[in-house]
Amino acid sequence: MKKMTGILGIALFLVFILTPAVNAAELPKVIKIGGQGVTSGSKADYGHQMIMGAQMAVEEINNSGGILGSKVEMKFMDSEIKAAVATKNARYLVKDWGAHFLFGIDSSGVSMALAPIMPELDRILIICHGATHKVNEEAIFKKGLRNTFRISVPTYQDGTLPAMIFKDRPEIKRIASLAAAYSYGYSAWEMFEKTLKKYRPDVEVVGKAEAPFLHMDFTPQLNALMAAKPDLILATPWGGEGLMMLRQAILLGLFEQPWFKVWFQCMGGSIDMAEGLTPDVKAGKFHGKLWATARYLWNWPDTPRNKAFVAKFREKFGRFPNYSAANVHTAIYAFKKAVEQTKSLDTQKLIKALEGMKVQAPDGERWIRPEDHQACYTVPAGHYVYDRAVCPNAYLSDLVVIPWEKYYRNPPDYKLP
Amino acid sequence: MSNFIFQALNGLSSAMFLWLVAAGLTVAFGVCGILNVAHGSLYMMGAYFAFTSFQILGLNFWLSLVFALIGAGIIGFLMERFFLRRIYDQPIEFQLILTFAFILVFDNLTKMIWGTMLIIPTMPSLFQGTIPIVGRPFPIYNLFIIFAGIAVALIIWVILNKTWWGMKLRAAASQREMANAIGINIPMLFTAAFVFAALLAAIGGALSTPIRVCDSGVGGAVIIQAFVVTVIGGLGSLKGAFVGALIIGVIGALCTLYVPFIELFVLYLIMAVVLIIRPQGLFGGER
Repeated sequence: MKKMTGILGIALFLVFILTPAVNAAELPKVIKIGGQGVTSGSKADYGHQMIMGAQMAVEEINNSGGILGSKVEMKFMDSEIKAAVATKNARYLVKDWGAHFLFGIDSSGVSMALAPIMPELDRILIICHGATHKVNEEAIFKKGLRNTFRISVPTYQDGTLPAMIFKDRPEIKRIASLAAAYSYGYSAWEMFEKTLKKYRPDVEVVGKAEAPFLHMDFTPQLNALMAAKPDLILATPWGGEGLMMLRQAILLGLFEQPWFKVWFQCMGGSIDMAEGLTPDVKAGKFHGKLWATARYLWNWPDTPRNKAFVAKFREKFGRFPNYSAANVHTAIYAFKKAVEQTKSLDTQKLIKALEGMKVQAPDGERWIRPEDHQACYTVPAGHYVYDRAVCPNAYLSDLVVIPWEKYYRNPPDYKLP
Repeated sequence: MSNFIFQALNGLSSAMFLWLVAAGLTVAFGVCGILNVAHGSLYMMGAYFAFTSFQILGLNFWLSLVFALIGAGIIGFLMERFFLRRIYDQPIEFQLILTFAFILVFDNLTKMIWGTMLIIPTMPSLFQGTIPIVGRPFPIYNLFIIFAGIAVALIIWVILNKTWWGMKLRAAASQREMANAIGINIPMLFTAAFVFAALLAAIGGALSTPIRVCDSGVGGAVIIQAFVVTVIGGLGSLKGAFVGALIIGVIGALCTLYVPFIELFVLYLIMAVVLIIRPQGLFGGER
């Protein structure tokens, strides 16, 4: 009996050892990864940076032997930030092109549109930019759409983090919003207002303005807010719109007003904005009042890993990496790690592998929270400065680092921290 | 009260951009009978030409405007002479399809020439700074836009009402066959009118570059607003385009100040009310 048990045990052990090898052998020679992001219009740089980040990751992976020997092939499509286009792209990438994995996505609306179709496509989507908390809190956690993950920070970064920073600035009492008139803008402001008021009941909302997507003339909104003389404006229009808005704010003389103290540009730390803002920052037109954060900052943390990533990116593309590049790079490595762990392209196995995974990003370790598939990591905020010796572009300095645990909302109740 | 005045001035400068685009749309429709949905693309081309000449070729601001006008004028000429002229007698659906195709062509053309990245031109030093109005700093450039818009309105009025060419244009607009019968060269006049419409769009685009960005999708955004303006003012009426632009620009700005979350609702409500009470627009029928 003991002999039989021993033979059975050895047999089971061999099966355990050999099974992964069999699965690995079943991996196709080429693993196809399909990305999409905005590559046209006023926000085109986000998609182009995604392509750069993806190219870099794919080259690195292929040069080091691929994923368990399988080469990686990437195709990237323009989502045009339209849900219908992104849905069509996703179907094409999976059904026609044969993608094993999807990544990218710039907007909250597109993220919410894709999450429900991923189970039908039987693929994993890792969102690298779209920020609405509704993706992780509602679509994934409450509705159980578990094929979707997000490797980038959600709107906690845009609403809760600035509130945690400015609650300690007693001179800021009058706050105002200039919101992008859709889910992302509303969510960011709601989180900012609620969190700040929780710590600082004396704070007063003196103005609210909003602008629809692809808005061009912000002067009426800016003038309306200036009439209320806020100490701080939290603004969510991003990319080209954000640049136009800030340029118009300079023209209106907002930053020269003695009563005005802080403009917080939620995603203003992006590279396209840094490049576009450089002449004005250099000329001192913001008077140190322009604050921003991002979903990754090239100059934080000051670690060899991050420095190496930035140096390699600059050498390859001649630009600094935006967060969309760093996040796509990380998403592809997370997928690689999941495939290597499971030695399979089976979606359910990959989902399990990604849940709770700790993946190395350029800025350090990101933990993918198993309950809502949200990557947890810290990104600081700072104010814009220009120093040619540090960087040819304007950049965020005097960074305020608050650990993610202090500003992320958490399942199951997602209460404010 | 100062907020009201200041915001109304802001609205006025926004209105002038709308006016320039809507005026061209009106001329093309009023004279040639062409509903040019690609008119926003001509605005966009004007912006790109101005950027290229000012920022890349290093021309001064005024020469860059001239460069933009020449470029857009040539495009307008080619569009009318080789494409639109062939469908004047066709149903309006043909115009919509053809001009929509032009939107796609121009959008992709700009991407091929200038790339897909947005372009951020700089403010000419001449217009940098603000001047105090009702105790608040008002951008010099916005003030310039208000004067430029009014100047263009006056120039159009003089051309249409005080020149021989304007008389011929009005004659062709109201009675094409009769004008032809008395010896007016209608095809040439239509080409000139369409080029004139393209110039109006281009000047709007060129003037927008110091405070907005050059972007391949900007034409689509502009044309929607221009259509709202012309629906309110009356398609084919220049007076209507001017008043419509003022309504949309100024009321939109004031709504942003007083009722910020229903600004768009108010603007489209105005359009709906005009359509119900006076479907031809406030000045519809007048040329």
